[in-house]
Amino acid sequence: MKKVLIHTKGLSKYYGKGGEIKAVDKLDLEVYEGETFGLLGPNGAGKTTTVRLLNCIIKPTRGTATVNGYDILKEETEVKRVTGLLAESPGLYEKLSAYEFLEFMGALYDVPRDILPERIDDLLKLFGLHDRRDHLLEGYSRGMKQKVLIAAALIHDPPILFFDEPTSMLDPRAALMVKNLIKGLADRAGKTIFICSHILPIVEELCDRIGIINQGKLIALGTVDEIIAQTETKTLEEAFIAITGGVEEKELLAWREHRDAGA
Amino acid sequence: MPVPKWFVVARNEYFIRTSSIRKIRPYFPYLVIGLLAVYVAFIAPAFVNLFIDEFIAFFLSQAAVAIVEIILFLIFFYFIIIPISNTLKEVQTGQQEIVLAAPIKPSDVLLGEFLGVMPFYAIAAVVIVGLFTAVLNPLGLDMVQIVMIIIIFIVTFFSALWIGTVIAAILRTKFGKTARGKDIGKALSLIIALPAIGLMYAIIGGGLLEALADPGTSGMVEAILGLLPSSWGAEVIISFASNPGNITAVGFETLTRFGGLVAFFVATLWLGAKAANRAYSLEPTTFISSRAKPDGVFYKTIKYLGGGGSFGTLLVSTFKGYSRRLQNLSYIAYAVGILVLVTIFFMHPEEPMDALLMGLLLFPLLAAFVASDVTLRGKDTLFIYRKTPSGVGRFVKARLVQGWLVVVPIAGGIAAVSTILIPQTTFISLLTYTGLVMLFVAAFVAFALGLFLLNPAFSDKSGNFILNIFIVPNVSLGLTLVPLLVFDLPALDSLSYVIIPLSWLLGIVFLYLGKRNLSRIE
Repeated sequence: MKKVLIHTKGLSKYYGKGGEIKAVDKLDLEVYEGETFGLLGPNGAGKTTTVRLLNCIIKPTRGTATVNGYDILKEETEVKRVTGLLAESPGLYEKLSAYEFLEFMGALYDVPRDILPERIDDLLKLFGLHDRRDHLLEGYSRGMKQKVLIAAALIHDPPILFFDEPTSMLDPRAALMVKNLIKGLADRAGKTIFICSHILPIVEELCDRIGIINQGKLIALGTVDEIIAQTETKTLEEAFIAITGGVEEKELLAWREHRDAGA
Repeated sequence: MPVPKWFVVARNEYFIRTSSIRKIRPYFPYLVIGLLAVYVAFIAPAFVNLFIDEFIAFFLSQAAVAIVEIILFLIFFYFIIIPISNTLKEVQTGQQEIVLAAPIKPSDVLLGEFLGVMPFYAIAAVVIVGLFTAVLNPLGLDMVQIVMIIIIFIVTFFSALWIGTVIAAILRTKFGKTARGKDIGKALSLIIALPAIGLMYAIIGGGLLEALADPGTSGMVEAILGLLPSSWGAEVIISFASNPGNITAVGFETLTRFGGLVAFFVATLWLGAKAANRAYSLEPTTFISSRAKPDGVFYKTIKYLGGGGSFGTLLVSTFKGYSRRLQNLSYIAYAVGILVLVTIFFMHPEEPMDALLMGLLLFPLLAAFVASDVTLRGKDTLFIYRKTPSGVGRFVKARLVQGWLVVVPIAGGIAAVSTILIPQTTFISLLTYTGLVMLFVAAFVAFALGLFLLNPAFSDKSGNFILNIFIVPNVSLGLTLVPLLVFDLPALDSLSYVIIPLSWLLGIVFLYLGKRNLSRIE
């Protein structure tokens, strides 16, 4: 039987007076060891809030979760040690070089000093940034910054990795490289990977199972084929629209009708 | 054994601050320490020797306690507001997510941020302490007294810096979550300096130091400032100066004041550490976004003034974009605040020329701040106008009218009030002077707008921004002083026949050049 590495039980995060804004609502989810899991949803669905809850960056209103067996409410430090996070729009320390930034992140995660320099060099070589290791991050392109952030998430070699919209701001070449890296981390390094995205092909290509979240609620869970079958559609895109709703085709050009009528 | 987390954050903070001098970073501390040692050992004593009699007379005078209290209060206040102002200028919370995801306590982050910037503030502290010890040394203070004075300064400065760091971190978290919050932060970063500027003006031009020679006034200032921890050290310093080499003579006073200061420092450290959890949080505080109300009478009037058609709509949009940004309103508040402070502390009703001259220097500053918004929102905004048919011309026109609508009534109002304050002012002279000031400032709006388009500043931290803000009032200074001093013309004649025509000429030329440059910006 597969070991469960992430387990949420009634995990909820409410905001506003009386908790009327339900960012995440009674989330029950299990992610298995070595699995690549994708959390799919439209903007504002609760994906980033879920990732922040599971990384102990914010605290749940109700419910709880365990990550690698550690309780997110009681064992915050242990949870943070076993996870790596690529946040959706993190702020880099632009006045540091790539090497200095990774050195800082390694020290924050207590990577032993005798192995840290070698690991930084290895990661910079892997991402093709070794030649520019001493350049300040302010001079890096968006794709290069994303590579540095992924290297930072890997610096302490955690068993669980969270990628929040890992390719949303990348050009096709950099996106392909990130996809290949995630595949490699899952297949060859045996990492458990939790991806949040609204880009369907990424999730479809990389994930063993997916969950669809909308308005804080998990509304579908399974493999891509299972979800397509459940919704009686042909593609994941159609299934996604069927589950979360979309604009009818006839409404798309309604704004021109007055002019046409007048013409 | 792993490195303490606060040390990791402190080192990171230090690296960020010294990124521009990375090549000399390894030698930087030795260089600074060496220079400071030369300053403390040679430069400060040599400087003090030039005025030694005056300094000694001062430290033994009636006003000494109050003045040292004011000096320490000013430094204490600046050490609090500088980190706050620096943080508010550009509120960034993106890095918090990286740090909060790591196994580190918020109190370690706070302590690290404090220790990381401390060396730079320590340089300022050593410069001030070096001067004070050089002044006090000839009085014959013993080693214990000198060491205690140094500790007093260190504890006072670092208490203030710690308080500033904690408040800055809390405000960053509070304001950094929304665009509105970031705007409020930028607005506050400028305004919070005004009280200290007011106090400085009171010392320089308001006769505060002379007033402190009066026992009643100095006693009142001592009583008020005595409540603040910055003053406790001042009292110990002055008591040492009055009893050099004899600490037992002021033993009780030293014990209570010095002990109180140390206790205050420990208490602020403890309270700051307790507040750290609030200072580092990504929990959203609000989901309410700002909403625009339907146009009221004000905007409808502006649209009417703009001709009511598409230009009227463009003018209203420009006006909304400007006035809904609190940072812009803070620039106006800051410029008006400086004008008011100058009027209070430097104006003398018996010399109406003062008001005229100050107005001619400071109103252009207001015009420059208002006009700066034209490029501060970035190139993308400018490109929108470049893309639309006849967009550049209409954009410049809308910006000019918007600048006039903001600056001219403010300048006119202030000019009218300051003219009324002059004894025996007639209604005609009030109207004449106010009208001339309005004409003058309208020309400077055109000049400043043209300058910012000719030399665009896309950030308020850029060199171009500082240069333009510097140029505008100095051009006004030149235009004002030349006819007054060189040709010895009467003030109103200068304004009417030389300054205003020349200002308009400059305004028209620069506006034309700026508009031409806007079509070429890439």
